[in-house]
Amino acid sequence: MSEVDRERPRHMLFDAEGKPTRDKPWIFRTYAGHSSPRASNELYRQNLEKGQTGLSIAFDLPTQCGYDSDDPVARPELGKVGVPINSLDDFHILFDQIPIEKMNTSMTINGTSMWLLALYVALARERGVDESELRGTTQNDIVKEYLARGTYIFPPEHSLRIIAEMYEWCLEHVPNWNASNICSYHLQEAGATPAQELAFALVNAIGILDLLKERGRFTHEQFEQVVGRVSFFVNSGIRFIEEMCKMRAFAKLWDEITRDRYGVKNPKYRLFRYGVQVNSLGLTENQPENNAWRILIEAMGVTLSRNARCRALQLPAWNEALSLPRPWDQQWSLRLQQILAYETDLLEYPDIFDGSHVIESKVEALCESAREEIDKILGMGGVRAAIESGYMKSELVRSMSERMRAIATGELTVVGVNRFTEGLPSPLLSGDDGGVFKVDSSSSEETLAVLEKTRRERDPARVKAALEALKAAAKNGENMMEASIECALARVTTGEWANALREVFGEYRPATGIEGQRLGLENDRVEKLRARIGALVDRLGHRPRIVVGKPGLDGHSNGAEMIAVAARHVGFDVIYSGIRLTPEQIVESAVEEDADVIGVSILSGSHLELADQLVAGLERAGAKDIPLVFGGIIPKSDFAALEAKGVSRIFTPADFELVEIMEQIIGVVEASAKG
Amino acid sequence: MSVEWIDAALRGEKRAIARLVSLFEDRRVDRASERRRVIEALDAHPEVRAAAIVGITGTPGAGKSTLTSEIVRHTRRLEPELRVAVVAIDPSSHVSGGALLGDRTRMRLPPGDVNVYFRSQASDTALGGLSPHTFQVCRLLHRLFDVVFVETVGIGQNEIDVRHLADRVYLVMQPLGGDEVQFLKAGIMEVPDEIVLNKCDEAEAALRSYRALKAALSLARPFDGDSIPIHRVSARTGMNVELLTERILERARLDRQSSLHAREVHHFARWVEDEWGRVGLRALESFGGAEAVMREAGDFDAAQAFFDRKVRAAIAASTAS
Repeated sequence: MSEVDRERPRHMLFDAEGKPTRDKPWIFRTYAGHSSPRASNELYRQNLEKGQTGLSIAFDLPTQCGYDSDDPVARPELGKVGVPINSLDDFHILFDQIPIEKMNTSMTINGTSMWLLALYVALARERGVDESELRGTTQNDIVKEYLARGTYIFPPEHSLRIIAEMYEWCLEHVPNWNASNICSYHLQEAGATPAQELAFALVNAIGILDLLKERGRFTHEQFEQVVGRVSFFVNSGIRFIEEMCKMRAFAKLWDEITRDRYGVKNPKYRLFRYGVQVNSLGLTENQPENNAWRILIEAMGVTLSRNARCRALQLPAWNEALSLPRPWDQQWSLRLQQILAYETDLLEYPDIFDGSHVIESKVEALCESAREEIDKILGMGGVRAAIESGYMKSELVRSMSERMRAIATGELTVVGVNRFTEGLPSPLLSGDDGGVFKVDSSSSEETLAVLEKTRRERDPARVKAALEALKAAAKNGENMMEASIECALARVTTGEWANALREVFGEYRPATGIEGQRLGLENDRVEKLRARIGALVDRLGHRPRIVVGKPGLDGHSNGAEMIAVAARHVGFDVIYSGIRLTPEQIVESAVEEDADVIGVSILSGSHLELADQLVAGLERAGAKDIPLVFGGIIPKSDFAALEAKGVSRIFTPADFELVEIMEQIIGVVEASAKG
Repeated sequence: MSVEWIDAALRGEKRAIARLVSLFEDRRVDRASERRRVIEALDAHPEVRAAAIVGITGTPGAGKSTLTSEIVRHTRRLEPELRVAVVAIDPSSHVSGGALLGDRTRMRLPPGDVNVYFRSQASDTALGGLSPHTFQVCRLLHRLFDVVFVETVGIGQNEIDVRHLADRVYLVMQPLGGDEVQFLKAGIMEVPDEIVLNKCDEAEAALRSYRALKAALSLARPFDGDSIPIHRVSARTGMNVELLTERILERARLDRQSSLHAREVHHFARWVEDEWGRVGLRALESFGGAEAVMREAGDFDAAQAFFDRKVRAAIAASTAS
């Protein structure tokens, strides 16, 4: 077959009638939502006008963690990383003038996924839309919440039950809905290697399918259909050839698993379907304009190979390491997708890697290590056991510290960070807004007013009955979807729904990844630090104590954990207070433990509010003398305001060297030593 | 001056309590006189309290922290007027000397509760499940609170120190941890006054373990008049935790007025060993033993300074000659 087939050349695509064709592009999405339902609605309508083809809704942390907007723990986070949703009234505003029957809507929601789906279905019912026409995805991947992202609410067994019930309910009522979306995205963010990403995501899917099988509510035909509904959400990093191979490995392994483990005969249901959010971890704060190229390259990793091309693509914005992106930044990323899909010839070819020995060999190598890891985890008792024992978490933390070490030693090149660091200042950062987005704080008043109105106007008897029915279903093992939809229609609020289930299921407390970290920090600088700590011990009469904690609802705990481990490594006594703390709790820890310094990690953008609350709390407790240091995604333009509030040092992703951070923190303690 | 904190500490102000605790953890010998002033002022104060000290020990993973936090919760509910302190000890790194004190995350106590005080302690290099400063801190907390829970690092061959600290020691175990035989070998079974078998929601394992434990106990302590109580609970589901708490509080009421004086002798000797090692212990013996030294010096705090002076003088004399 060396000759070119003149009728149907192998480099071309043909449709069912044999006419040359090109592929339809993937769904273009932008992860978006902020401030209030009204502001987000405007943004969505703008984005749809610009040629975006699907919605990807970002919810704020209180909504993700099951709190009403007026809950004390929610206030500083309100509308920060996404849109706040308190009740069905907010959904009416959020989707105003958007035809939901025509939309493919992806909701990044996990702990409260059942509630948000119930709201969406209730919205359809009130609008008179046939609910079986709804299309979209609730992320609903609780495994990565336990491992990396932190917006879990209930213990694993109950969370898994919720996911299973959503699959069961959706198959019957909303057959085109993806009840969950197995995410490996956050695993890569948390430091997973490609093989770990493959293995962890696949055992996660196995965990769900095993559970569904065990519950036995499906015939085999139905079960095959359910397998066909399992979709994935993947990360794409800068090593784009390997990432492309990873996607091919995913497709291959998923085909194997669904065929061999679950006996799925129909090849259609064995397809590996996935969406992508391109990696934000590798985006740098230094020379942020370089991120535009990184995003382009990473987008290619998941689009080049036709057989492993994503179904939907979300790109971050070039300035995400600095703050939340502005609408213009998001538009710039959307344009990248449009150029790739409509200007280039990408969609005109069959798979361009089929037949490449190099690619084939790489894919097989990835499959091999992933299979080993999968067997290992299944041998431990599966994904739930591997979470509860802390195995997966400590593996991830180990990979992450390895990455940090490699960047610190220069083994891993990051342009603009540890090589080619000299550059001209970026004109992109010189606008009036400093190149970053600020949430309009007045928008929270509107959200709170709507919530108050909802509470005032609803029928309390119906609310009470709906919540009782929900609790009853939770207790006696009935499917909770219909009860949740009734809650939605009755104008129950997000916090009330979550609290009712908290009463029945309890709340989850995580294993931290603190043990098992290797920092690779053994050098003169560490020795010097230990000597300085030794001198402090003599001066203070005790080993210096640092309280490390993460206020607010953002659960990305890696940064705080890394600091905690590094601080112990140089000789601090570290009181690690964990995540999801109110400022009051951090103050209480610091006061009761008589801390010498407090370190807080903040990624949600609420640093100014949290600084106010922490300082006020310390003042009330008569402990204003305990110095505060902040770390997280904090724009330079906020440094002066934070310092004025009394924050002694501010670390950002540009400060990636742990030893350097420790030197500075010890400096802070030395300067304030009470003696 | 630390005595200024006393009124506030007795009122339950946490900053004041915390600063005083730091004084009692302070490893500089010259702080002994300051501590002595605080103890004297407290003992003369009309508001002074006398807490029972409850030791909670057990293997890592047995669920000590969760159980302690549940016990504290129930205590707050059953007897809201009681002032409760918790001291939780975690191990220090032998390389850097630093420690990760993570018990606060495991023990989510109600925030802003003025009647509960929680303090983490690093074990330092001490073997024995307590920190070198635990006893010192308990001397203080004993006078500020009604119940003090001390949660040890874990329990192993050397970790029987808690006996010399607490009025009553509860050993927390988990079903089929295989601990029964190990404990028997290590003599741990001689430590506790009562045993708590946690995680008993797994009924079958719990029952088997309960029986194994009964058998092990009758071997380890054949001469006990009353058999040691074994409580079957589950901190996770809450099973029997309220009952256990009632029992602990009832015992604590009986132990409340007990004095720490007898224990000071033991802990003074421990301090000598921590600070001066075997040389110190030999010196202590040559001075007539811990009790005699304490009597001569006046009290526990004075004894530290007194011994420090004496042993330094002895060393100076021996190097001079």
